[in-house]
Amino acid sequence: MEGLKMDFLSSKALEDKSSLEKISMIIERVKDGDILVLEGSLTPSEEAELIETTMREIDIENFVGIDIHTLEKDERSFFGFSKKRTVGLTIIGPANVMKTVKKRSNFLSMIAKIGDSGASVH
Amino acid sequence: MKHTKNIELIIMNSFFRRLLDKLLRRRKKVKIGLYGHPNSGKTTLANAICEDWIGTPLGVISDIPHETRSVYKQEEVVIEKDGYKLYFDIIDTPGVATKVDYKNFLRYGLSEREAKERAKEATKGIIEAIKWLDDVTGVLLVMDSTEDPLTQANITIIGNLEARKIPFLIIANKIDLPESSADRISAVFPQHTVVPISALHKENIEQLYMEMVRKFK
Repeated sequence: MEGLKMDFLSSKALEDKSSLEKISMIIERVKDGDILVLEGSLTPSEEAELIETTMREIDIENFVGIDIHTLEKDERSFFGFSKKRTVGLTIIGPANVMKTVKKRSNFLSMIAKIGDSGASVH
Repeated sequence: MKHTKNIELIIMNSFFRRLLDKLLRRRKKVKIGLYGHPNSGKTTLANAICEDWIGTPLGVISDIPHETRSVYKQEEVVIEKDGYKLYFDIIDTPGVATKVDYKNFLRYGLSEREAKERAKEATKGIIEAIKWLDDVTGVLLVMDSTEDPLTQANITIIGNLEARKIPFLIIANKIDLPESSADRISAVFPQHTVVPISALHKENIEQLYMEMVRKFK
């Protein structure tokens, strides 16, 4: 791989896609070595489907699976009385590229491996 | 003649009581899946439960990840606690992960061929474990309390259990190790019941049985 390619997809870009289309798109890009940053999150059943599809696509030598990380944010209800954590960003990449991820509240730091060097993404 | 009628009545009563017991038992029996990361101690826990209530262990354990690569099942386990009986089947599933790299197995002394074969089987096992989420009626989600619990595999399993309304307990396993922290798991998942245990030494296992009867009866 010559460089690290990152694709940022807004929630708008994903809302018209079916679960199958989303998963196929994610797997296709991640197998190409890309890192995807999605606005929002996948549903639990989409996450399970993504893991299943990943397992089917693993070819031992070249593609060993994926890493998924999420950055959460606090969201207040309309009247501001209650607060809940929702996923702001979902980062998905090839497991052999995404090397170190440090996660704290409202902060995610990732080091991706490109060839013999490392690229840091915050 | 009257005596014969009485015997028939007793037999009929007994028959219907057995039938009723069987129906009630069948209704109450649940399928409890053991889920979690590879090497979190699922099979060690399944063995502890089976040894305590059946008398024999269920599966083989080892330090090498993905030792359990297909689903193992023990039917008709009965836990008796505080006057209640919980009838259930144990479904010991392969560890769920988002990646399987055969090179990780080489450090345990496996040959390259063995490591690749293990990796292939592990991917199939993960698919099988996810498919079983459609069939289980309760789950023990086993976490290694020496590790960070906030992983994608745990998040995906919990999200799916919540979406499917499957009752579950989080098991903070390996509390016998000095670096363990069941509190960290409770802090990450405050809305769920966390039971700290050591499946290997059966530490706090009675508490787990009590929680299982409460949750799944």
